Amino acid sequence: MNLKFEEFQKSNLGFEELDNIRIKNFKSFETQGFPTKKQEQWKYTDMRNIISNNFQDLQIFDKNKDSHYNNELLVKDFEHNKIVLLNGKFVESNFTFENDKKIKIKSLKKIFENKNDFDKIKNYFEDEQNSLILLNHALTNDGILLDIEDNYSFNKPLVIYNFFDKAVENKIVNNKFFISLGEKSNLSLVDFYRCEDNIKYFNNTIHNYTIKKNATLKKFSINDSLDNSYNYNSVKIKSYSNSIFENFLLSLGPNLIKNEIHCNLLEDFSSCFVNGIMLLNGDQHHELKTNINHKYENCKSSQLIKSVLLDKSNGTYQGKIFVDKRAQKTNGYQLSKALLLSENSEFNSKPELEIYADDVKCSHGSTIGNIDENAIFYLMSRGLSKFQASKIIVEGFLNEAIETITDPIIKIFVSKLFNERINKVNV
Amino acid sequence: MLDIKNLSASIEDKKILENFNLNIKPGEVHAIMGPNGSGKSTLANVLSGRKGYTVEGKVYYEGNDLLEIPIEERAQKGIFLAFQYPIEIPGVNTNIFLKTSLNAIRKFRGLKELDALDFLKLVKEKSKKLKIEEKILSRQLNVGFSGGEKKKNEILQMTILEPKLAILDETDSGLDIDALRIVSDGVNSLRDKKRSFLIITHYQRLLDYIKPDFVHVLINGKIVKTGSSDLALELEKDGYEGVSITK
Repeated sequence: MNLKFEEFQKSNLGFEELDNIRIKNFKSFETQGFPTKKQEQWKYTDMRNIISNNFQDLQIFDKNKDSHYNNELLVKDFEHNKIVLLNGKFVESNFTFENDKKIKIKSLKKIFENKNDFDKIKNYFEDEQNSLILLNHALTNDGILLDIEDNYSFNKPLVIYNFFDKAVENKIVNNKFFISLGEKSNLSLVDFYRCEDNIKYFNNTIHNYTIKKNATLKKFSINDSLDNSYNYNSVKIKSYSNSIFENFLLSLGPNLIKNEIHCNLLEDFSSCFVNGIMLLNGDQHHELKTNINHKYENCKSSQLIKSVLLDKSNGTYQGKIFVDKRAQKTNGYQLSKALLLSENSEFNSKPELEIYADDVKCSHGSTIGNIDENAIFYLMSRGLSKFQASKIIVEGFLNEAIETITDPIIKIFVSKLFNERINKVNV
Repeated sequence: MLDIKNLSASIEDKKILENFNLNIKPGEVHAIMGPNGSGKSTLANVLSGRKGYTVEGKVYYEGNDLLEIPIEERAQKGIFLAFQYPIEIPGVNTNIFLKTSLNAIRKFRGLKELDALDFLKLVKEKSKKLKIEEKILSRQLNVGFSGGEKKKNEILQMTILEPKLAILDETDSGLDIDALRIVSDGVNSLRDKKRSFLIITHYQRLLDYIKPDFVHVLINGKIVKTGSSDLALELEKDGYEGVSITK
């Protein structure tokens, strides 16, 4: 691997502090290299191996030549606000349905040009063990910073479009999202991915969310469209008193994705929900790693992940609930259920509970199995073919996770994308 | 309609049915009664095509070799099995399942498939007739249903799918009087000159509500006695042992 960092560095020179952050983090990355399965967190997704097997000469993506994107890729028949990124770089935003005085949006590129702005986020570039995050710190030159004032509820969902095109072929794209939701504010956020050309690229995105008192952030990670991409997505959340964070993952599309969700429940009565589905075929490899940190009393977390694996696909769920010694009355729950529909598919499930408080309710469950033959027989005895029977069972199995979506408009939207995908899968 | 000739069925060398013979003509209602382990459920399973049995003999359904017909085609051709233990299928909406099922059968019969609206109308009508609460149909298939609800759901499915031959495998066990009435109303409402029923039961009780044309006593995999509906009353009085002795 030979990332041309100096070239990138020269074309992204800014004020000294930022330059030094880049250099320092890149050096640390170079010492470590991409994560390997020797690291516990990467046990089931050996990134170094995956990259060397799939990219002959991975290079850094720097800037777009022009920021024209294909309008056809925008979601239709669905009223929404939008932020568009092309190849990880901010292109435009549109808050048609909102009072835009309440919303501040800036590209990270602009933030990097202003020392005062940068100072507000620079502690997010702190030391890290994870080398992909080090690399992201070194190579991020764009992204978004979205600030929503107190007492503002969005009228319509916000879709963040992550479009990719030929320009990123064999490149690694790095960016960061910062989203802060003010007190008593509400937002439904759809993180939506589309790649126009069937090219290989690596996308490395770090999300940092702050959810203030009594605010609700519902986030939907939509990776539904089959493509040749490799992705690492790390979401870090700070949740304050009485806030709600809901994260739903539709993990169906890319060749490889590792989603990490690190949620810190910092004040009382805050809650975190992580639900989602993986439906994988071919050689797809998806992982979800969660880390729910109960740092304060009376917080709640719940996770439900349902997975169906076909062909030679590989899925992993590593779910951790950490309960600090002061986090009494914690209510933590997680459940992973997977159906393996082929002999060559693989699913790894690693539930972890780490509890230091003594008055908590925490439970976890994990099942991996096949479709129940009795269920197939029951449906076939009602006239359904074996294919129809399996399909209806698989659909129903995954639907249980979709049913957890509490935003009715988005539930319809997600169901539609899910149905389009499952209709193309030979269960 | 159904002609069973010298049917034997076994699981792992254990013979359950032996040289079983039965002929059901269109419009007839046959009841099969027998003690535990006599082979009643095996008969229902073999007729509906459940795997795991070694089967010998012949079964003709409308003149065709039933044992050669794939499971789903048996249903499409008009055979309905009401399960003794209906299967719970999480996440599958009962209505959607039933619509898929009805349309698979209609398609096979060369009828137009029903759209969601027509289907709901049909379901409404049928469930009202049987006094079954429609809302169980918007729940997940059999999930969290009580024993009675599961059986009622089977009967509702039967009245919607309108089979030519309905096999009821101990549908009456575990039912209270009201549910029993719903089950028998379902059967009686479908009774006509063309449709046949094979009712498998432990108890005479159900036959107070559904008057069969024939009652057969099944013991150790064989029919040991056949009679009119009065035979059921005799069984109730003397028990299965009484039959064995008079054999």
